[in-house]
Amino acid sequence: MTDDTTPTADDRTDEQVRTDGGTDEAARTDGGPPATVPPDDETPTWSERKERSQGLAQLTYQYFERSRREDEDLRTESTYVERDVLGFPTWPHETIRNLAITSFFLGIILLVASILPSHFGDPANPGSTPAIILPDWYLYWSFGLLKLDPINPDLAVLGGNIVMSNELLGLIAHGAIFGVITLVPFLNKGNARRPVEEPGWAALGVAGVILAITLAALAIQNFFPVQLELLFSLVFMLPVAGGVVTYAVLKTMREGYMYDLNRRYYMLRPPK
Amino acid sequence: MSLKKQDDMDHNAWLKSQDLTAIETVFLTTLIWLDKRLRIVDYLELLETMYYRANLQMPKSHTEQYDLDNKFWYWYPLYSLGSLSIIAYLLAAVSGAMLGFYYAPSTAGAVAQGDPTAAYDSMVMIMKDVQFGFMLRSIHRWAAQFMVAAVFLHMLRVYFTGAYKEPREVNWILGVVLIALTLLFGFSGYVLPWKQLSFWAAQIGVELALATPLVGEWAAQLLFGGFTLGQATLVRMYILHVFVLPFVVTSLIAIHVGIVWVQGIAEPH
Repeated sequence: MTDDTTPTADDRTDEQVRTDGGTDEAARTDGGPPATVPPDDETPTWSERKERSQGLAQLTYQYFERSRREDEDLRTESTYVERDVLGFPTWPHETIRNLAITSFFLGIILLVASILPSHFGDPANPGSTPAIILPDWYLYWSFGLLKLDPINPDLAVLGGNIVMSNELLGLIAHGAIFGVITLVPFLNKGNARRPVEEPGWAALGVAGVILAITLAALAIQNFFPVQLELLFSLVFMLPVAGGVVTYAVLKTMREGYMYDLNRRYYMLRPPK
Repeated sequence: MSLKKQDDMDHNAWLKSQDLTAIETVFLTTLIWLDKRLRIVDYLELLETMYYRANLQMPKSHTEQYDLDNKFWYWYPLYSLGSLSIIAYLLAAVSGAMLGFYYAPSTAGAVAQGDPTAAYDSMVMIMKDVQFGFMLRSIHRWAAQFMVAAVFLHMLRVYFTGAYKEPREVNWILGVVLIALTLLFGFSGYVLPWKQLSFWAAQIGVELALATPLVGEWAAQLLFGGFTLGQATLVRMYILHVFVLPFVVTSLIAIHVGIVWVQGIAEPH
């Protein structure tokens, strides 16, 4: 591989005098060998690193060991049946099904786009406020939250003045709603998945959906031939009513399930 | 000894010693040529590892174990809402990129108040003069509407089936952020045509921002480019709509889906 006349890296040493009288060390211009890399025999092995590590690193390592063991135990204790395929076959079943539902969805979008062209109004005029200001439908609920003036608290101390501006009230309402939604996984724990298993949470969800709809109605109040007070009461009463009905229905369904279970139980073990 | 490098692995000689068809020869020659330059064999090994990981023996899924497949199929559309919102997002992205060729985010051109601006005129041009432009704008708008609808329904499905529970809290929060950003996407897009409704929707936005304590004026400056609406507002909404939000939302969607991939789908009970 190498020519005989050129010295290799192995037999070239510091003491070796070069033909010009200097040494290699004196002649080098690259600053010498890197000082930070330890010789190979001092590099700690992985097990040595584990033993040596302290504090947070050590704790992390211990936890990882624990969780790995936990996984291993769960796997050995599992009663799951092992088999060759994971779930529903991706090809062709899942792909065809997804393709079908995707093309249906795209087709609906194109159909709607072609028969319902988008609205196009007058150009912007800062000088004249239109009678009806509305965002797109999906922001109606948000727009409705900005029309909560009637429940903006006023204090006698302030001579009947409102505590905060109506816009700020709307913003706080937004914050509260987003906050509650964000906190849901931390408030509702456990393994229950079906609405029937947790009628309270399902009722809360239904109430939330109805509230979004009624707030949207509040946003477009100009289109309703109802008195504003009545509309405002409905905005908050309908969600409660919807929640109560949902709760009642789900509770009844649960009773039904229990009845079924009990009947089967007593058919198997008739009372003496 | 010669200076010429010895080829320890003479692939070409090996190729010649084989008895190959023309197709095999071409394939192998190309493969060797590419591998000498890009060392694709390393990546092939990665692919092989992935193949074996994907085909591991896996435990039965919950749906299969309790034989829920037969009852589950009619819920399937509800479980595809997340995928449908991504598809609508992609459609909006493609049509939006095409609209971007013709749209001009400028309020220039209005002599008096209420005159059409350059932005408004470019929308009129898209709808009247551009080939297929009317349909293009319609598709963009409706794709956005369908995306928002799918995202909302997706959240309701996740809520009512309890799919947000441990260990999926992080993804739920990410979803809430994504919904907020989707609404911001819709809002900024709503402002762009600079029609009456756009202007006054933006006006409400500025008033809301200004009503926020402490950070209100700063937020109004940042998002709307000032306290009164004008060229600055339009450009900011435009940059938000076509540059900032696409990057942010696309990466968040990638993380969202990635977490679903890692954690597995919350199976119906």
